Amino acid sequence: MNKSLFAGVAIAALTAGGAMADGHLPFAPGEGAFSWDAYNAWAENAPDLSGQTVTVSGPWLTPEDDVFRSALAYFADATGAEVIYNGSDSFEQQIVIDAEAGSPPNIAVFPQPGLAADMASKGLLHPLPADMSDWVRDNYAAGQSWVDLGTYPDQSGADQMYGFFYNVNVKSLVWYSPENFEDAGYDLPETMEELKALTEQVVADGDVPWCIGLGSGAATGWPATDWVEDMMLRTVSPETYDKWTTNEIAFDDPQVIAAIEEFGWFARDDAKVSGGAGAVASTDFRDSPNGLFASPPGCYMHRQASFVPAFFPEDTEFGVDVDFFYFPSFAEKDLGNPVLGGGTLMAITDPSDATNALMGYFQQPLAHEVMMAQTGFLTPHKGANVDAYKDDTLRGLGEILLGATTFRFDGSDLMPGGVGAGTFWTGMVDYTGGKSAADVAAEIQSSWDALK
Amino acid sequence: MDNIAGSKPTLTWAVHISVLALVCLWLFPTVGLLVSSFRTGDQISTSGWWNALGTADQNVVMRVADPDENRVAEGDMFVVEGNIFDGEIQGATILVWGTSSRAIDAYQAGETAELKGTETLTVATDGTYTWKGSDDEISGRGQRVFASITAPPEFTFENYDAMLFDPANNEGMTKAFFNTLTVTIPATIIPIVIAAFAAYALAWMDFPGRALLIAIVVGLLVVPLQLALIPLLKLHLGIGIGKGYLGVWLAHTGFGLPLAIYLLRNYMVGLPRDIIENAKVDGASDFQIFTKIILPLSFPALASFAIFQFLWTWNDLLVAKVFLIDASGQTTVMTNQITELLGTRGGNWEILATAAFVSIAVPLVVFFAMQRYLVRGLLAGSVK
Repeated sequence: MNKSLFAGVAIAALTAGGAMADGHLPFAPGEGAFSWDAYNAWAENAPDLSGQTVTVSGPWLTPEDDVFRSALAYFADATGAEVIYNGSDSFEQQIVIDAEAGSPPNIAVFPQPGLAADMASKGLLHPLPADMSDWVRDNYAAGQSWVDLGTYPDQSGADQMYGFFYNVNVKSLVWYSPENFEDAGYDLPETMEELKALTEQVVADGDVPWCIGLGSGAATGWPATDWVEDMMLRTVSPETYDKWTTNEIAFDDPQVIAAIEEFGWFARDDAKVSGGAGAVASTDFRDSPNGLFASPPGCYMHRQASFVPAFFPEDTEFGVDVDFFYFPSFAEKDLGNPVLGGGTLMAITDPSDATNALMGYFQQPLAHEVMMAQTGFLTPHKGANVDAYKDDTLRGLGEILLGATTFRFDGSDLMPGGVGAGTFWTGMVDYTGGKSAADVAAEIQSSWDALK
Repeated sequence: MDNIAGSKPTLTWAVHISVLALVCLWLFPTVGLLVSSFRTGDQISTSGWWNALGTADQNVVMRVADPDENRVAEGDMFVVEGNIFDGEIQGATILVWGTSSRAIDAYQAGETAELKGTETLTVATDGTYTWKGSDDEISGRGQRVFASITAPPEFTFENYDAMLFDPANNEGMTKAFFNTLTVTIPATIIPIVIAAFAAYALAWMDFPGRALLIAIVVGLLVVPLQLALIPLLKLHLGIGIGKGYLGVWLAHTGFGLPLAIYLLRNYMVGLPRDIIENAKVDGASDFQIFTKIILPLSFPALASFAIFQFLWTWNDLLVAKVFLIDASGQTTVMTNQITELLGTRGGNWEILATAAFVSIAVPLVVFFAMQRYLVRGLLAGSVK
């Protein structure tokens, strides 16, 4: 038994060694637009953690998992600790099972705050090191809002900071093909009124303005919740939006119904969406951007978050084949330029010294820059060098995030799981299927009442 | 033979046709998956797999070569020449083409399009083009060409290559393959051994409460295993097994036993009573009857259950995720590895299709090696 165990460990070590050789330190220290000075200063004082292991579980799979491992490699290099990242497509279920049964990883990367808040209230999460909230407040753009989003009541009801945001996306974006706009002679809309006028113009020209797809397997409907949230931010004040996410104003409030109907203006008109309104709910969100690149164009615009380029055809060139503009706000309403976003947060599920040290490493600009340079990773970290972004498109997105006047988190992720990842999704599918906004909103509200 | 076939010819035909229809219905998705596994991700997302089988008309958007690097001066004009397909699509023929998304069929193949100012573009049937114009016009980004083309089927081994030989994937796949075998083989053998003993006792040994025990086993068939996941994992962690192979073997054994006992008992109870009574009269013990008579006679039932259990454990993801896969990442199985290849947001269908066929290989071998027992074993328990 022991012999075979050792043999197994030896083989594992050998294969791990092989893997390290590939993924080890993708950027040579001291080169490129990275914050090496800060990293070196941190690395000098970093504790020696040789022989210790930190396990991290999260939702990132190919190719983000390898990129994340390469960011972790710099931590391992400085401290000698081994960090193992494991991705899972059913992370949300698995972390609950593991934590409940008592075998969690050291750090869990949550795709949305709702689940983290839920686990914190059951006592399954451990608060972050004490200095973390001050650090986030000072070093993240719109810092206080990130602190608030990561702070939940613990088992006894006292607020503690559990979640540290790492990897953020921007949702208020419209993707388009600049050349198709040129061919048709359209200008980029600067206000919501212009966007609506443009939509009608495209229809009048005999083409289809929008590609909207809500399909996403078990999560079908979520792209529509983003639309409604964006519409909420453009029709009501951010404070009202916050009240909506906590149900201080009811889901079937006229303001919410109005926002749903604003979405319906785009999605429920056969002429305005590719395939007709009936195809909206059945089109997979991963396939829906393809209309932008089809010949003849299936649509002219596609509203989706900053991660969607992962589903563009392989050799798509940014700025040439595709570009984005900010999903504009109404000129008549004085609400500024709100930005809707989402993001993943890290929380400690099984504390150790090495885990705390790793959390400290994530404060380093380098931990963000390594990710920025390799994948569609955006960060609100003010210390991270924007030159490190992989391309201009990402840099533009990153700057939107750094300069946001109003940043609001994806509302459905803040609502209780049964609503934000349940009836809100299915309700939006019903709505695009022809049900009235008032009925849908009333149903969602009653499901929320049932959860209280 | 002749008169049997001759007596009900219409019925035989109806049976054959419906069997054929059912087989086609079952195979249809698998064929689609097989065809998809030879296509690229872009092809899968733009057209259905049935389009890949024959010569297809399609609309494509291509771009001429980057003018800043490829243009050649010709008098005061500049020219870019090349092939629009750039080796990407083999053997395609252009029917009509255009340069604007608003008029994609403006020109016939071979025609010359007069663009802005002095700029002209000629595209021939085989995709060769000449793009001509002044210094200003032939710069910046390459002109787009919308073409309606007829292209022969195009298949690629790229997916299999990436899956089996790409060092980034195959290391994980190899590990997962052997892990899966480590899970599957004991998880098939242990329940069979236990169930065979239990089935014999329940079929041929008289003891009080036997009927009740059989009823309980049948009742356990209905209990969904999802109910037991967290309590069982807590138990494993509590008694120190933790997450690992031992835990997953135990879990598979437990979840597989009710069906195994039920199936084997029904088979064994149908064996001729005379043989067993004769053996008893000759002084054989229960253990001897079991090993010398029952086991050899029950081989078809054992084999058919082995196929069931093997396929179920091979394809299992849920039990492995709960009882085996821990944060260390060393204990992954094929199914888990495959779902991870789908990518963070589940878009890599071509890899999924390929992975499905790679992972199917072993169960297919097992099935064909043992399938002649499967039907016998299944029928033997049910028909007396």
